[in-house]
Amino acid sequence: MFLNTREGLALALPAAFFSLLLFLVPVGILLSEAFQSDTGWTLSGYTDFFAKPLNQVVFFRTLKLGVLVAGTAAVIGYAAAFCIVNLGPTARGRVFGLVVLPLMISPVARTYAWIVILGRTGIVNDAIVGLGLSETPIRLLFTETAVFLGLLQLFMPLMIISLVSAMENIPRDVIPAARVLGASWLQVFVRVILPLTKEGLVIGGTLVFTGALTAYITPAILGGSKVLMLETLLYQRVNVANDFVSASVIAMILMVMSFSANLLLKRIASARR
Amino acid sequence: MKLTLPIAVALCALTGTAMAADKTLTISVYSFAQDAYKKALYDPFEEICGCDLVIETGNSVERMAKIEANADDPVIDMAVISSHDALSLARKGLIAPLDTSKLSSFDRLYPAAQDPIGNNMAVGYTFYASSIVYRKDLVEIESWGDLLDKKLAGNVALPNITGTQGPLTLMMLDKAMGGKPDDFGPVISEIGKKADDIVTFYSRSSELAQLMNQEEVIAAPVGRFAWSRFKGSPLPFAWANPAEGQAGGMNVMIMTKGNGNEELAYKLMDYWISTEVQTRIAEALIDSPANMDVKVSQEVADNLTYGAELIESLNILDPATIIDNREAWVEQWNADVIK
Amino acid sequence: MRNLANWLILGLTLTFLIGPFLIIIFAGASAGQSLAFPPDGLSLKWYAKVFTVESFRASFMLSMFLAVFGTLTALILGIPAAYALNRYKLPGDETIRTIVAAPIIVPGIIVGLALLRYLVVPLDFTVTMALFMAHTALVLPYAVRVVSSSLHNLRADMEEAAVLLGCSRLQAFMKVVLPNIRGGVLAAFILGFVTSFNQVPVSLFLSGPGVRTLPIDMLAYMEITYDPSVAALSAMLAFMSLAIVFAAERLLGFSRYV
Repeated sequence: MFLNTREGLALALPAAFFSLLLFLVPVGILLSEAFQSDTGWTLSGYTDFFAKPLNQVVFFRTLKLGVLVAGTAAVIGYAAAFCIVNLGPTARGRVFGLVVLPLMISPVARTYAWIVILGRTGIVNDAIVGLGLSETPIRLLFTETAVFLGLLQLFMPLMIISLVSAMENIPRDVIPAARVLGASWLQVFVRVILPLTKEGLVIGGTLVFTGALTAYITPAILGGSKVLMLETLLYQRVNVANDFVSASVIAMILMVMSFSANLLLKRIASARR
Repeated sequence: MKLTLPIAVALCALTGTAMAADKTLTISVYSFAQDAYKKALYDPFEEICGCDLVIETGNSVERMAKIEANADDPVIDMAVISSHDALSLARKGLIAPLDTSKLSSFDRLYPAAQDPIGNNMAVGYTFYASSIVYRKDLVEIESWGDLLDKKLAGNVALPNITGTQGPLTLMMLDKAMGGKPDDFGPVISEIGKKADDIVTFYSRSSELAQLMNQEEVIAAPVGRFAWSRFKGSPLPFAWANPAEGQAGGMNVMIMTKGNGNEELAYKLMDYWISTEVQTRIAEALIDSPANMDVKVSQEVADNLTYGAELIESLNILDPATIIDNREAWVEQWNADVIK
Repeated sequence: MRNLANWLILGLTLTFLIGPFLIIIFAGASAGQSLAFPPDGLSLKWYAKVFTVESFRASFMLSMFLAVFGTLTALILGIPAAYALNRYKLPGDETIRTIVAAPIIVPGIIVGLALLRYLVVPLDFTVTMALFMAHTALVLPYAVRVVSSSLHNLRADMEEAAVLLGCSRLQAFMKVVLPNIRGGVLAAFILGFVTSFNQVPVSLFLSGPGVRTLPIDMLAYMEITYDPSVAALSAMLAFMSLAIVFAAERLLGFSRYV
């Protein structure tokens, strides 16, 4: 540890000032915009925003999809992470690589694929009709289901990665020991795995939830104007109506949602101790 | 100190990319058929004027927003937009009146295209009909009302209200339902009731083309300018001739106020409405001509909105009606339809 | 039996994650006119067409420029910051940490809009400049975090020894620290590069005539047509990212740092 404070600050401050001046200050001004009116400070931007039924619907839809995507990612993520940790070292590296792979691919490309997959003549509908689950193809594009699937595919790798690194820290013998002592798999999960991996769950959950809230391409392409989410609504308000007050309100809502999700998950994690 | 050098280098590179050739004209256009425009219009024009064209594309809403955002120091010199968007820009004082004496082909335009929004704020360069594209092997379309009929439930797309085609569709549905002209309230409520039967409200004709080609949608209203997207498809698409007639509109050219590049902009405008270019664009089946001297073969004419008689027959929605009412329509639309 | 269940779960998960990418590769190789899977016959014409679209070339160059120089700038700012936060006792170090990490939490679309409204419009920044700053700021948290974690694993007494033996602090950093965190720096570069290159929401509002990042240009191209060339381009970009990551993994064991 070096004690020369001035030298240390000289090294750290350029980065901090860069972030602050070119990033946080403009964002801060944008967020404050909804609180300003000709006469002074006001909350009317917020009350007006939530007075419109469409905005309420979009808000709750965004929240719902965020929670669903994060929840589903956690369930599948635990199963997948558990399997990955159980693999031999070589296979583990390869499978882990395959999980990371989608993160390297442009979200435009990943979302684009779903248009074809979910279409009326796409492979999902072929399978549904082929298996006799439905007589005629069902409509999947431009539904919440489509947006849900797109977001899940986009962000699940983040959950798996977080959970795998958390699970690697579980001592090897703990799970077999618990089994030998007569614990059911459910008990093992709730009593052993969950407490030992909660940090990974908090990180993964925050990343997936925030990612789902702030994704633009997926709701824009797979949801369209019938399944607006906050992010697409923001874009629409700015570009269609030059409505910067609504944009500022939505921006604030998105940030508050991300922060509270993070805090909430941390609280839940520490309460389980 | 060592840090500043690479930053300076990077900044130099930045300003380098921002600078372009001496004579540059920046235009804002609809984002379709750009390959064809390049051949028929941009490349020959660059040759003639010895300048560089910078082309900004996008849907009309986004392009309008950009012109407005940069009003003090226009980035765009000249734009082609719908007549009502032009009127809206004119009312906001963002565009300059045109000196038509600088357009040698001006008097060759159909009278309706010469001063479509008043005060010489714009000139029309193309007319288009709007009707319904449909799969003739699956469904019959006889009226605009069929769009909301049971036979299309779950297989129909409508244009979004925020685009140009949206209000035209409202007008024709209003006519089909026998409503009062210019009062689209009941039509929007009706669409709201049927919202679950409508696959999506599209905002780009390319999106619609993809949806119809993957058989997601079997009928939708669309402008004739997009017909070439459907004509070449292996699926049997047809252009409806509904009982209420076809809707129609005009796209116009405008000059942003105080852009400092007027001379070049006039040159391009004049070139664009010249018989030579209008014929080339018509023969490539992109835009229908607004220049009366353009002569095309019967086959080409069948794919366009061509000739005085057809243009006369179109149902036109007054630009002023659109911009005076659009906000109310969108408000009702948001409440009734997309919630 | 357990093993089988294991692979079944992994197989299904990986199909879900990677399947769409495989579909894009094949949809791009279609001989037909529109995007479809299975493709109508196979052909490489759409892969070839990508190279003829002029705007793709310009936007590819812009995205490359932003990804390379934005990430380099972020590293130039981030490495000293990470070093200072690890090795010095600083007043307000938590605040500095939070400020530097903040760009990762702020939704990208807000960043783009804020920079457009308060830097580009009033202060006459060019769009390219604003893009450059936004991409740098976005990559900064990754640079600081990844470099921090490799500094964390490097014992501080090595530099102290170097200083005692007569090196200046800067020399000690250049000769002792930098060679030892090379892997972390490269990992940060790759992570930053990929993040920047694929970034969409930030660039959504930051585009001007002729100035567009590649992902935004792909979206704009889809306004013109949904032909399979966007699929072909996506597949090629994915292979480019993969090649970079693969090379890095081979050389340095990149995944240790992520």
